[in-house]
Amino acid sequence: MAQSTAHRRLLQEYRALTNNPPEGITAGPVSEDDLLHWECLIQGPEGTPFEGGVFPAELKFPKDYPLAPPTMKFLADVFHPNVYPSGLVCISILHPPGDDPNHYEHASERWSPIQSVEKILISVMSMLAEPNDESPANVEAAKMWRERRDEYEKTVRDGVLRMLGL
Amino acid sequence: MASSDDVPDSTDWLSTPLSGFAAVEAALRCQVCKDLYKTPMITSCCHTFCSICIRRALSNDGKCPMCRATEQELKLRSNWSMEETVEAFSKARAAALSLARSHQDGARSSRSPKRKAAEGAAEAHEPKRLRTSARLSRNRGGPSVPVTPSEEVEEQVVPDSNNDEEDGDYVPDAPNGLVPCPLCNRRMKEWQVFGHLESCPGPSAAASPLNNPTTTDTTPSFAQSHRKQQKTLERLPPLNYSMLKEQALRKKMSDLGISNQGPRILLEKRHREWLTLWNANCDAAVPKKRSELLHDLDTWERTQGGRAPTMGRVAQTAAVIKDKDFDGAAWAARHDSSFRDLIASARRSRQEAAKKTEEVDEASEASAGRNPDSVVIASSQPPEEKPTTTDDPSDQHGEGRPDTAPGLEPVLDPSHAEPMSWQLSQRPIGSAPSAEGASTRMVEADKY
Repeated sequence: MAQSTAHRRLLQEYRALTNNPPEGITAGPVSEDDLLHWECLIQGPEGTPFEGGVFPAELKFPKDYPLAPPTMKFLADVFHPNVYPSGLVCISILHPPGDDPNHYEHASERWSPIQSVEKILISVMSMLAEPNDESPANVEAAKMWRERRDEYEKTVRDGVLRMLGL
Repeated sequence: MASSDDVPDSTDWLSTPLSGFAAVEAALRCQVCKDLYKTPMITSCCHTFCSICIRRALSNDGKCPMCRATEQELKLRSNWSMEETVEAFSKARAAALSLARSHQDGARSSRSPKRKAAEGAAEAHEPKRLRTSARLSRNRGGPSVPVTPSEEVEEQVVPDSNNDEEDGDYVPDAPNGLVPCPLCNRRMKEWQVFGHLESCPGPSAAASPLNNPTTTDTTPSFAQSHRKQQKTLERLPPLNYSMLKEQALRKKMSDLGISNQGPRILLEKRHREWLTLWNANCDAAVPKKRSELLHDLDTWERTQGGRAPTMGRVAQTAAVIKDKDFDGAAWAARHDSSFRDLIASARRSRQEAAKKTEEVDEASEASAGRNPDSVVIASSQPPEEKPTTTDDPSDQHGEGRPDTAPGLEPVLDPSHAEPMSWQLSQRPIGSAPSAEGASTRMVEADKY
């Protein structure tokens, strides 16, 4: 089957991620037949309430990747101001520069074809550590994070423990 | 489809003693497609991309992917020096990499590749611009080493590489450790090359060979010498689609010799893709034939255009099989083991089915109302064990049904045995019997 640009590029990224995996991140296509669907695991960053958790997520790439960004969705419950209750991740690197639904993002932080899976996942890790409450995807989490930090951290920690089955 | 093993990447160097080359190779790769530059073009903001990559990106949003400065396709200029560098590097790559790998397997087999990568990383002085360097520097806290890799590279790799003129340009080839800049050939320390490359004026503006006699013997660039005679292909102008009636667009597309079928939005996408393919081809040192470009457009059509798969994966595979240029032999070869497995399991299940019916007949004749679970268990085991297993009362511990004491079994109505065991055999092995089954048995037990 003819290989599209997206396929070649994703194979290349997969190769780089296998050769030199970034700390706390594992990612790869779910199956060799469908390179546009990836699964990844992200470790909760140390020193945050997410520490100790391992969060599975899926990445779905558009056919014209890397011109357009993929979407990312956590497959486990993640209580976080920038994660929709459905698990969908809302960060600037995943938004194309054209539209700005939240009217706050700098174009320089947004998607560009030079970004990569690795950069997305690293951004998501730092998002877990430092939420951006300017564009809350989860309003409840954002309010709690802003006003009752202790309660927020406890909720997150409980979520991590629940996910680990403890 | 190519597996990931067939995709060379700059990170391939990380596990070798020459881990510093990961950064060299990363600098020769396009940031958009992550592949080695093909027909590199430089933007007016001085970023280099493959011609096709930058043209696609610009027709998408008109901005440089790297710095997001507004850019036009017209302003792109060829970066021939980069093209030569990439060409020479990709020729030398395989040999250099296998040398680096064998070197690692031999003399230093006692040390782990990880540690070597860390050592190499400590030597990487490249500026942060490179994708890999950020990560390399993270490893810098690794164990300190008495001998630095770059010294080893000089004393051990150089003698070999002198036999191969391709490698010569890319490995420090002088005892003083100076390497030539791949663009202007000025000699400098290895770690300076990247900083210098940022501002390198290129071969044209560089010191002339007279000033730098050592570089005169390097192979003259094939691409550049051929370039001059190349007749320039006519580039296609972009269209303002909003100004164009659909009929006119269809007409233009058929004049270009590409398909003019499909809805308007697809026409525009297809036309834009053709423009990108065509104009990128005009930049190439060795342009492809028109037929190859049409083939590329066809690939686009099948992956992103009108014939892009919108269905699930199973349906896609089915479509591939039905395709007229489907290679049946290759398919059969590739899936040979799966076919064998399928055949074997089909044979096995048929045998089992035959045995089961036999056994069920037997069972209904001989002992009525025995524990139905045993039939299920027995069917998954070799035939010779069956008689013992079926009569084994220990089966009953597994499911823990207190209402069926072994003593009650023989008195149950024989007519129940067959349908019940048939029903149960369709359930996964070890699953609990249905409430229906259990209640029937209870009724039977109560009756007694």
